[in-house]
Amino acid sequence: MKKLIALLLAATMVFSMAACSSGETAKDDTQDTSNTGDTTGTGETTGGEDWEIVVVPKDSSNPWFVRMNVGVEEYAEETGVNCYQKGTDQIDATLQAQLVQDLIAQDVDAICVVPVDIQSLDPILKEAKDAGIVVITHEGADLQNVDYDIEAFSNAGYGQFIMDNLAAAMGEEGVYTTMVASLTNGSHNEWADAAVEYQKTAYPNMTLLEAQPRVESNDNGDTAYNVAKELFKTYPELKGIMGTSSFDAPGVARAIQELGLRDKAFTTGTGMPADNAALLKDGVIKSLTLWDPAEAGKAMVSLALKVLNGEEVAAPLNLGIEGYDAMTFREGSTTVLEGQGWITIDAENVDSFGF
Amino acid sequence: MTEVKKHYRSNPHLYRLLAITVLWMLFMAVTRFDKFYTFKNFQTIAAQFPEFGLMSLGVMLCMMTGGIDLSCVGVANLTSILCALLMTKLAGESGVLSPATFPIIVVVVLVIGALCGAFSGLLVAKVRIPPILATLGVNELLTGICMVLTGGAALSAFPKEMTTMLAANIGGVLPVRLLVFVAMAVLVWFMLCKTTYGTKLLLLGTSEKVARYSGMKTERMLIRTYMTSGICSALGGLMMLSTYASARADYGSQYTLQTILIVVLGGVSPNGGKGKISGVILAIVLLKLLESGINRFQNISSYYISLIWGGVLILAMVMDYVTGDKRSRA
Repeated sequence: MKKLIALLLAATMVFSMAACSSGETAKDDTQDTSNTGDTTGTGETTGGEDWEIVVVPKDSSNPWFVRMNVGVEEYAEETGVNCYQKGTDQIDATLQAQLVQDLIAQDVDAICVVPVDIQSLDPILKEAKDAGIVVITHEGADLQNVDYDIEAFSNAGYGQFIMDNLAAAMGEEGVYTTMVASLTNGSHNEWADAAVEYQKTAYPNMTLLEAQPRVESNDNGDTAYNVAKELFKTYPELKGIMGTSSFDAPGVARAIQELGLRDKAFTTGTGMPADNAALLKDGVIKSLTLWDPAEAGKAMVSLALKVLNGEEVAAPLNLGIEGYDAMTFREGSTTVLEGQGWITIDAENVDSFGF
Repeated sequence: MTEVKKHYRSNPHLYRLLAITVLWMLFMAVTRFDKFYTFKNFQTIAAQFPEFGLMSLGVMLCMMTGGIDLSCVGVANLTSILCALLMTKLAGESGVLSPATFPIIVVVVLVIGALCGAFSGLLVAKVRIPPILATLGVNELLTGICMVLTGGAALSAFPKEMTTMLAANIGGVLPVRLLVFVAMAVLVWFMLCKTTYGTKLLLLGTSEKVARYSGMKTERMLIRTYMTSGICSALGGLMMLSTYASARADYGSQYTLQTILIVVLGGVSPNGGKGKISGVILAIVLLKLLESGINRFQNISSYYISLIWGGVLILAMVMDYVTGDKRSRA
């Protein structure tokens, strides 16, 4: 009996509280509509700190997104903007979509999301846009219902950047070749094409290995290692291999190590810091290339803030973040913005990323 | 008052769950009132839980027989993928799906669910494979078929007329998906409480031997139960197709464990023979309220959702033990 009375008391309390504060909620709601309905911010009395900007990564345990969280938290600390990262505990398209729905129901001001799955998220983002929420995405160039999508770099720009790194290692001269995951992989081949094109004008003393200008690693470290070993044996003049997938350069480095070609042959390309710390410190690989998720997180929040404040978004766009300070629209697109957000990883900074 | 007391006596578990729910709602009221108690929030919750709520209803029935259904996500994904393909076919070259075809699609959904369920049921009842293995195998098999059908990619290029309708809110207020869930829940409730099926089901779960000796056709009962579960999951799949406007082999993979958590939290005994649909429905809503509530706290990581779900499950069981009557403790 006592339990029942306690239960009834609790219920009455909930209802009375609901009744008391319903007036307050209604007020909040009208205020919110005036905020979100009019994103240009004219007549906005609240300052930038009052915006609520949420970053939704693919999940919150992947080291890549833990690093992104570092960036978002740094940004909040530096600027005082109310932004934070909220992710699901595992990579799952449905979980992510539900989290975004929850955020829409909360009436946040902007949602920045790195989509797990484009197709399932697009209709949910439409709900967000319909509700007047600013939507910024990262690595989701094919999404339709967004204000803007941020890409760390253009494919051509990143290819040239890898080439700069390779040339530096090779002393700007010698024979090199390119490695991609597969000849049908879109972005890898675009990087490699751009790099080769760029080398012709920027590094005239380097030459592409004509017999085998492009080899495949199948996104597999062992394949990269075997292919590289074969290449170095067959073509003794070969001095450098440009990798694209994150398995290429580490695989090639193992071949260089094993064949005793250290400081005679070189490689560079995309690579994850923690996985390759030993190779970098050992000096087999002089540098790897990558983009920093922390900076991408900051860039998304910064762009969301710009849209919320009604500032003009036009190329070249300066988000005040290194690598994202002269962003341009992708050719033929009015929503996809590309930066120069690549970074070099070497023996000195490899331990500073945490992933 | 005696009426209420009597009701409490006969549903102690339900009231304990209700107490947890009220506590949580109070907690949300104190901490995040203006973020949580909004119409939009409850509308979102009501539109989100039907997909796994439907699956949970099916799992509940199977668990009452002392079995389990781990194939719900596989059935759901197969249904949504086949539906997407069927919608494209039915729309033909015009690319527009006429409302006249909606009933066909619903029938197909029910048939797919019934077939998949019947398959699991046959494995459990006739081949006598333990349910946990039989349904796990069926789940893998169906997911494999989904993979082959789609090549692992998401299907999103199909006519959206029907899914848009299902994803909409009637009059901008009531989510259609909630109605589908309520309809199915009422049907299952009717089967359990108003027909002899329910009594037989619990008897079967208590002791299959006794059930068989008392002249029950236990094999048919089991197959029928797994078929119902399959239909529930297939409807869940249709809800998922509507929500995400796309279908893929691996959507909702976390629901397998979530449905079991819900059903056990709802007071259904994993050994079978005991449980009420009211408890399971409350557990479905409670789990969603917990998840949505936690998402209102920007500093609390989503990891805490699993942590709190687990905590609530253990709390409910401990409360059962501490306050439960002596009879059920034995």
